[in-house]
Parts: sequence; C-alpha cells; structure tokens
Amino acid sequence: MSRQAYDQALAIAPDALRAPWTRRVRDAFLLILALAALVGMAIDLELAPGALMTGFAKLGRFLGEMVPPSSGGQSARILKALAETFAMAFAGTAIAAVVALPLGVIGAKTVVSNPVLHFVFRRFLDIFRGVPALVWALILVSAFGLGPFAGVVALALADIPNLAKLFSESLENTDPKPIEGVRSAGASPLAVMRFGLAPQFAPVATSQTLFFLEGNFRNAGVLGIVGAGGIGFELDERIRIFAFDEVAFIILLYMVAVACLDTLSRSLRNRLA
Amino acid sequence: MNTAVEIFEQERRRMLVRQRTQAAVGLAIFTVLLLVSFQRSQFFGSDIGGDPLGRMADFLQRMNPGLKPELLLEDRQTRGSLHSWFYALPTWLHAAWQTVEMAILATALGSILALGASFLTAQNLMPFAPVRFVVRRILEAIRTLPDLIMALILVAAFGVGPLAGVLTLTISTLGGLGKLFAEINEEIDPRQLEALQAAGAGPLKKIRYGVMPQVLPNYASYALIRLEGNLAGAAALGIVGAGGIGIELQRAITYTEFDTYLAILLIIIAMIFVIDLFSEAVRHRLIGLEKA
Repeated sequence: MSRQAYDQALAIAPDALRAPWTRRVRDAFLLILALAALVGMAIDLELAPGALMTGFAKLGRFLGEMVPPSSGGQSARILKALAETFAMAFAGTAIAAVVALPLGVIGAKTVVSNPVLHFVFRRFLDIFRGVPALVWALILVSAFGLGPFAGVVALALADIPNLAKLFSESLENTDPKPIEGVRSAGASPLAVMRFGLAPQFAPVATSQTLFFLEGNFRNAGVLGIVGAGGIGFELDERIRIFAFDEVAFIILLYMVAVACLDTLSRSLRNRLA
Repeated sequence: MNTAVEIFEQERRRMLVRQRTQAAVGLAIFTVLLLVSFQRSQFFGSDIGGDPLGRMADFLQRMNPGLKPELLLEDRQTRGSLHSWFYALPTWLHAAWQTVEMAILATALGSILALGASFLTAQNLMPFAPVRFVVRRILEAIRTLPDLIMALILVAAFGVGPLAGVLTLTISTLGGLGKLFAEINEEIDPRQLEALQAAGAGPLKKIRYGVMPQVLPNYASYALIRLEGNLAGAAALGIVGAGGIGIELQRAITYTEFDTYLAILLIIIAMIFVIDLFSEAVRHRLIGLEKA
C-alpha cells in the first residue's frame, strides 16, 4: 500500500487499519508475558546456549559419519530384527483388537444405555489412553524379562483403550434401519448381527485396526531401547558405540519398511472404505 | 423371462464364489501372518516360562502398593501408608513440571518453525516449486522417523538432560504441524490476498494481513492438540535420558520398585489429564471466537 493511499484510508476509517490503543497495549503485554514465561521455562530447564553449540557441532560430526551408510556385514541380523519388529506390531495389534472389541461394545451408548455406567466406563478408558507404549514396555520388560513378549503386551496395552473408544464410537454411528429390517424379516439375533450390524461395523473397525497397525510398527521400532526386542535394540546398541554409518543404514531400512507398510495398509483401507 | 432369472442366478453364484475365495485367501494370509508373528515375538515361548496369563497376574501383584486402610495417613516409615507409597512426591512433581515445561517449550518453538515451513510449502503462497518440494520432503522425513530414535541420537550429541528432549519434540512438532499448517494455508479464501495484491502489498504484508487473520485460530487449535501429544511424548523421552519424569520411571525400574512405578505412572496420567482439560477448554473458546 502506498503511503498516500494508507493516509487516506486512515482518515476515512481509522478502526479498520489500527486497533484501539488499549487492545494494542493488552496484546503487547500478553505477548511479552508469554515470551517471559517461555524464557523462564528455558532457564528452569537449564537449556544453556553453550551446550546447544557444542551439541550441534557433535551432531554435525555424527551426521557426517552417517555417509555412506553401511550394514557392517550384519544385514541378516538386522533384517531379522526388522521382521521381529513387524511381528511385535502385528501380534500386539491383533491382541489389542480382540480385547478392545468387547470393551468397545460395553462402551457404546447404544448397548449400555445407562448414562452413569457409560460415563464411568469411558472415563476409565480415557485415563489410560495417554500412556505411551514405551512407558508400559519399561515395566513389562522388568517383569517378563528381555525380549519381544514384553513389547507385544506393551503395544497391546497402549492400544486397547484407544481402539475400544473408536470401536464404541463406530458402533454408535451404525444405522439402525438395516438392523431393524433384518429383524423384521424374522432373523435370529445372530443373523441380525451378521447381516444387519457386521456389514456396517466390520469395514470401519478393520480400517481402524489397520491404522493402529501402522502406528504400532513405528512404536515397535523404539521399544527395543528398553529391551523389548526388535530393531530398536540394534539401533540403541550402535548409537552407544557411535557406529553412525550402521545407525544410518538401519534407520533408512526401517523408514523404507514403514513407508511400504503405510502404502499397503492405506490401499487396503481405501478398498474397505 | 426364465433366461433372465437364470442369467441373474449365474451372475450371483459367480459373485458369491469370488467373494468367498477373496475372503478365504484374506483369512489364510491373516492366519499365517498371525501365527508367524506370535512365533517370532515368542508370545507363547517356553524359554520365559510359558503361561502368559499367569505372568500377567504375578506382575499386577507386584505393582500393588499394599495400602492398608487404617494406616493410610501414617508417616513414611509405615508400610501401607500413602506417604510410604508416594515417598518422593516433591521430586516427582518437580520432574512432572519439568516434563510440562519441555512440552510447552517444544510446542511453542516447533509451532513457530512450522509457521515458517508452512509458507514455504503452501501452493498458493510459495510460487517457486523446487522450494516447496524440498521442504515437503524434509517434513515427511521428520514424520517417518520415530521421536525416540531421534531422541537417542540427540541425547548422544547434546548429553543427558532436557535439552535433547526439547530439541527432539521441537523437530517432531515441526514435521507434524508444518504439514497441517500448510494444508490450512492452502484452504484460505484467495480474495483477500487478491485485494492486498491489488493494493500493492508485498509478500510479507500479504501474509500478515491476508493470511494470518484467517488461519491463526486453526493454527492455535492444532498446536494445542499437539501440546497434548507432546506431553505424553515428553514423559516417554525421559526413559532414554532426555529429561523429565521419564527419568524417575527409569529409576524406579532400576530398583525394581513396581509400586513406585505405579505411583509415578499415576502422576503422569494426572498430568496428561490436567493438560488435556486445559487445552480442550482453550480450544473450545478459540472455536467459539472463530464462529463469532
């Protein structure tokens, strides 16, 4: 905007171009307050600029060592760990889906119509929804020993409340008309489920479960850090000895695997929808 | 008439056969995958004793703090009191607060970076295609890399402590929000941009007066959702040494204090719950403002 046009516009409609000074003062005050709070937090966490600089220098060196990536002659072992990671994700998701299904039915408003019970049950699920799989894995490894078993249970535990919530929401969203139709044709309760409910619910639930499988493959990749098997263990080991060419190899391989699974799962989900 | 019915029946039989074959093949693939997965992940492996359900029960037993109703309010030395269960509450609360600080700082920094990135990747604001392409690929790469792997490398570079955690979450927030912000940018009303263009505004003024007023409420809403996610993330990051309450979890495990673990877990759950409530309240206000 040219200076002249701006002055003209300001003369005609000052409010359109400039907020009243009280609001501007208030906004500036809030902005400064927010910035001060952030700086205060940074100071409280002892985030020193010096540490940042040396850290970046080190990080640069690590990244330099990452090229060219190298398998270190252990590609068989790494591929096996990758397969184990997928196995953990698949088994964990399957268990989560099987456990979440009855919980989802209980959590659906259309099944359990008592509002108090519904509220209590949903809140109970909500409590555990935020706990990340790694937090479960840490204690499960300590309880069950090193190995993928703890990882499978951790993934399942982290997913069950989330999947149950999604399942009960999709059950609530099913159209009652086909169900009534099948029932009025004289079908048995089982047949009502099979021909009235399942065609609506199964594709949605399967698609949600596939989505969780994608997420679990990402989560399973890190559970090895606490000893729960899979590729994370191999990664952690190599980061500890600063073998960054092998780290880069594993990360690249893993990212390719994640992308493959995502593409496959997305195409399956598109077919279901 | 008869032939039409016959053709229909034939067609239907063929369809049923095809559907059933598809279902059978799908089921077969699924079963094989499931069996191989359980085998590979040693779910029923005998080398850790078999009996997965029995082990679960034993584990729950060990998490039980053994509270005694008549001793709840006794001092720290009495087994069975709340104080002896939550014996280091001030330390844990401080660690929890650090986790909150990490999440807030990382969300703020990540959002600012994402803001910049979103203008570089939005089709309607960045006319230069190669820049869009490169920035988009970088954001995608960040999203594919799990946070904790990034955290491991950053802890190796920046040392144990919150700095590595804040950086990890900042980068991952940049990846996640950068994409969402760019999508918001591409959906804005182009007429306001055209009006500013016609008035001779430069690119920065176009962003300030044409884009910002339209997108800011949506941005804030997404950033708050991200804050909730970052808080859970920050709690987990401590386990690999990136600061916050995760370090306390790790310590409880080192001393195999399962009941302490449960206590800290409850603090984490409460912390996530409080931030969720706060963020939801602010988001609802923002949506209300947007409608007004």
